[in-house]
Amino acid sequence: MNKFTIKGKEKTVFMIMMGIGLLSVVLTFMTDSLPGKARFWSNFLHEALFFTGIAAMALFYMSTALVGYGGYMSVFKRVLEAMSLQLKLGIAFFLIIVIGLFMKWHHLYLWADENFVANDKVLTGKSGFLNPVMYTIFTILALGSWYFLASRIRRASVQEDEHGKFGDYTFTKKMQTYGALSLVTIGYFSAVGIWQWLMSLDPHWYSTLFAWYTASSWFVAMLSLLTLIILYLKGQGYMPYFTKEHMHDIGKFIFGISVFWSYLWFSQYMLIWYGNVGEETVYFKVRVDHYPVLFYGNLIMNFVLPFLLLLPNTTKRMRGTMVFIAVLLLIGHWIDIFLMVKPGVLHTVQELSGAHEAVGEHGHEASSFVSGFTLPGFLEIGTFIGFLGLFLYTTFIDLTKACLLPVNDAYIEESIHHHVV
Amino acid sequence: MSKKVIFGLYSTEEALFSAIKKAKGRHLEIDDVFTPFPVHGLDPLLGLKESRLHIAGFIYGLTGFLTAFLGMSWVSTIDWPNIFGGKPYWSVPAFVPIMFESTVLFAAVGMTVTFYVISGMGPGVKNPVLHPRITDDKFCISFSADEVGEGVAESFLQETGAEEIGSKTI
Repeated sequence: MNKFTIKGKEKTVFMIMMGIGLLSVVLTFMTDSLPGKARFWSNFLHEALFFTGIAAMALFYMSTALVGYGGYMSVFKRVLEAMSLQLKLGIAFFLIIVIGLFMKWHHLYLWADENFVANDKVLTGKSGFLNPVMYTIFTILALGSWYFLASRIRRASVQEDEHGKFGDYTFTKKMQTYGALSLVTIGYFSAVGIWQWLMSLDPHWYSTLFAWYTASSWFVAMLSLLTLIILYLKGQGYMPYFTKEHMHDIGKFIFGISVFWSYLWFSQYMLIWYGNVGEETVYFKVRVDHYPVLFYGNLIMNFVLPFLLLLPNTTKRMRGTMVFIAVLLLIGHWIDIFLMVKPGVLHTVQELSGAHEAVGEHGHEASSFVSGFTLPGFLEIGTFIGFLGLFLYTTFIDLTKACLLPVNDAYIEESIHHHVV
Repeated sequence: MSKKVIFGLYSTEEALFSAIKKAKGRHLEIDDVFTPFPVHGLDPLLGLKESRLHIAGFIYGLTGFLTAFLGMSWVSTIDWPNIFGGKPYWSVPAFVPIMFESTVLFAAVGMTVTFYVISGMGPGVKNPVLHPRITDDKFCISFSADEVGEGVAESFLQETGAEEIGSKTI
């Protein structure tokens, strides 16, 4: 059973998920009373960032193994390929955001408002980098190069199925070259992209390791979704060669990158806390004061629980724990991105509508709850379900287009006989 | 505490594996197996249990973590309270690097010492090497002469194609 086909039931489930998503998006748009439809647009940006990041990190993860002669992932490489191809969704999402930026559909970014920038010294100084043109250029360069490389790796990999021979490494070398290029472009453009797309939501604030921090968040989310997709396929009788040994490897990756994420989270937090410079602490001040549940819950979900649960050898080899961890981390890192997006957008809304001064006069603490911002509401969750359905549906469509086992892959025998313990 | 062992050397993993399987089939108790590199599948074949060293490691790590946390808390609130950079006395984020470092230190040192103790190694301990080539390219099975019997062990090793058979009192 190496050829994957989508069942009618799966299609129905995805359609229902997308239906929920569409309904939530429409409802958000209708009920959004904030200026510039901030709730609607910030939800859209949140999901766009989350799923584009997952697709980009799938390409990154695949490339590390291609460049590093990694044999273990050959049996599940096709799932990664299909996930990385979903960068096309990312292109579509960011196209909408870029067009919206020029057409003034949304006010997500404070630096996009000329009147405000003209009266703000800091933003005037940053306007060489933070402006709609640069935003567009880097978005195109980032997503364009990633999608190009992902589709090239995919094409070489699929061609290898048909034309590859034992001992013929032309396709392997080709994929290695594209993989090396992917590592470089993702390394560079993910940083620039994250500054433009995400960090510039708080345009006065900056942090040097923010890009790695976000990228590691994406990485863990990607690994969680990968685990869920593979275990689902395995449950349906596909991928019989995907064994506990491979799951153990993914588990180790989830553990390692979760700890890496925590390390970066804490490095960023502690330096800012210790330095105590007003323009830096404002980022955490807002989040600790107005988002305490998410702020501390984020750490528990994304560090404490996976750390303790994945520490023993045995839990990484058990289906149940891995599914639990994957679901936990997928939601956890969704909340992490939520926490990066929402406060900045809310602040921008208040700045642009002049509400900020009003809040300042009457004390910052007074009734700061804003639905859809302070905590993810039903509409946010519905939107997430919709985008997840879309992502999974397109991933599954790409999975059907090639054999699930790359039969002529250079490492396929090694991968099938992979042994960890 | 010295015992006499009979050992045989094999030159391939396959020969080693088939010999171990035969020995198990005849209920001959293998004293030990030596290989020049880690061989996959050997541990389950010999019925070795998973090492409990990592549990000890976790406990050492936890000890280090708590030592640093409680120690720092005590020092900075009771023993010698000082104000640094306008922060409260009990500033947990500042303790985290120390907690992390001492977790690593306690786990690493504790596990190393535990490993040395349980495997009887240490300064001045003589290591009985059965044959110099088992650290190079030969795979070795050894039987205890008291438990299996010299004759039985030797004939078994001969039968399974051991290239060299010897005995040593360790």
